[in-house]
Amino acid sequence: MKPERRPGFLPIQTNWFDRLFISVVLWVALSLFWLRFLEPLGLSIWICVAISLILAAVIIRRG
Amino acid sequence: MHSKTLGWILLAPTLLILFLFGVVPFIYVVFVSFHQWNPFGANPNMVFNWANNYRRVVFDAQFITSLQVTAAFVFFAVTSQLILGYALAQAFMRDFPGKSFFRTIHTLPLIMAPIIVGSVWKLMTTPSIGIIPNLLSNWFGYDLNIGQSATQAFITTVVMDIWHWTPLVTLTMIAALVSLPPDPFEQAQIDGANRRQIFWHITLPMIRPAILATLFIRLMDAMRTVDEVLMLTGGGPGSATRYVGVHIFKEVFPRTNYGYGSAISVVVLYLTIVVCWLMYVGLIAPRNKGKG
Repeated sequence: MKPERRPGFLPIQTNWFDRLFISVVLWVALSLFWLRFLEPLGLSIWICVAISLILAAVIIRRG
Repeated sequence: MHSKTLGWILLAPTLLILFLFGVVPFIYVVFVSFHQWNPFGANPNMVFNWANNYRRVVFDAQFITSLQVTAAFVFFAVTSQLILGYALAQAFMRDFPGKSFFRTIHTLPLIMAPIIVGSVWKLMTTPSIGIIPNLLSNWFGYDLNIGQSATQAFITTVVMDIWHWTPLVTLTMIAALVSLPPDPFEQAQIDGANRRQIFWHITLPMIRPAILATLFIRLMDAMRTVDEVLMLTGGGPGSATRYVGVHIFKEVFPRTNYGYGSAISVVVLYLTIVVCWLMYVGLIAPRNKGKG
C-alpha cells in the first residue's frame, strides 16, 4: 500500500491504514492512561471512548 | 492465468497459515482478556468483565516494576549485542589462523534451546559448584551469588543473553559487510579518509538497513525473554529479574489466571508494537512532509 501524497497534519507520509493504526495506538494509550489516572476521579471510560473515536475520525480524514 | 491471480494463489498457503497461527490466536487472546477466566477455580466458566483486567493491569505494581526491569534488560542486552556483534564481524572479516574454526564455534550458542542455556548458566553460576563464582573468587576475590544479590542476578541475565544472541548479530553483520562494494572504500582511501571517517561516513550508512533489521529482531526477542531467565533465576531475587515474560508466565501457569494473563500479554504486545513502530518512524520512514 503506497503512501498517499497528500498534505496532512501528521509529520510523516501515511496511507489510510497507517492512520487507522495510529488511531488505534492512540486509543489504547489514552484508554490505559484514563483507567490509571482519570477513572479513579470519577470520569467514565466511555468519555475516553468518545474522545478516541473523534480523534480517530480526525486522524483518518485529515492526518 | 493472470499474473496477479497467480500471485495470490501462490501466496494463499502462507497467508492462511499466518492467519491461523498469528491472527486467530491474537483475536482469541484479546477476547479472553475481557473475561474473568480461571478454568481450575471455583467458577471455571468465562465471565465477561468489561475492562476489569486492564484496570487491574494499570494498578499492578509488580507488572510496572517488571516493565522497568525489562526496559533496562533490553537496553543493556541489545546495545551490547549490536556493538559486540559488529566488532566480531569486523574481526571475522580479516584473516587470522583458525578463522573458520572460530567462526564456526562462535555460532554454537545460537543452536542451543533457551531452556538449555538457562540450565547451563544456572550450573555455571551456582555458588560452590559453579565455575564462574569459583574463578571470580579465586582471581579477584569477588563473591558472585545471584540467589542473593539483585544486581548480580540482573547483570548475569544480561550477560547470558549477550552470550546467547551476539552470534546472530555477528552473522547478520558479516552478511552485510561481505555484500558491500569495494569501490567507495577505495575511493575514500585515495581521498585520504582515515578509518574513523570511513566507518562513520561509508560503512555505517551502507549497513544501516542490516543494523536496523537486527535491532528490531533482537528488540522484540529480548522483550519476550522467559525460559532462560526462568531457569537461571526464576525471576528473583525479589523482582530483580522478573521480566514481563516471566511475570506473565507466573500469572498464567501457576495461578491459572488466564483472563488477567491475557490482558497483560495484550498490553505487552501493544508496547512492543509501539516501540518498534516509533523506532521505524524515527529511523526509517521518509520524512518528506510538505512535498506532496
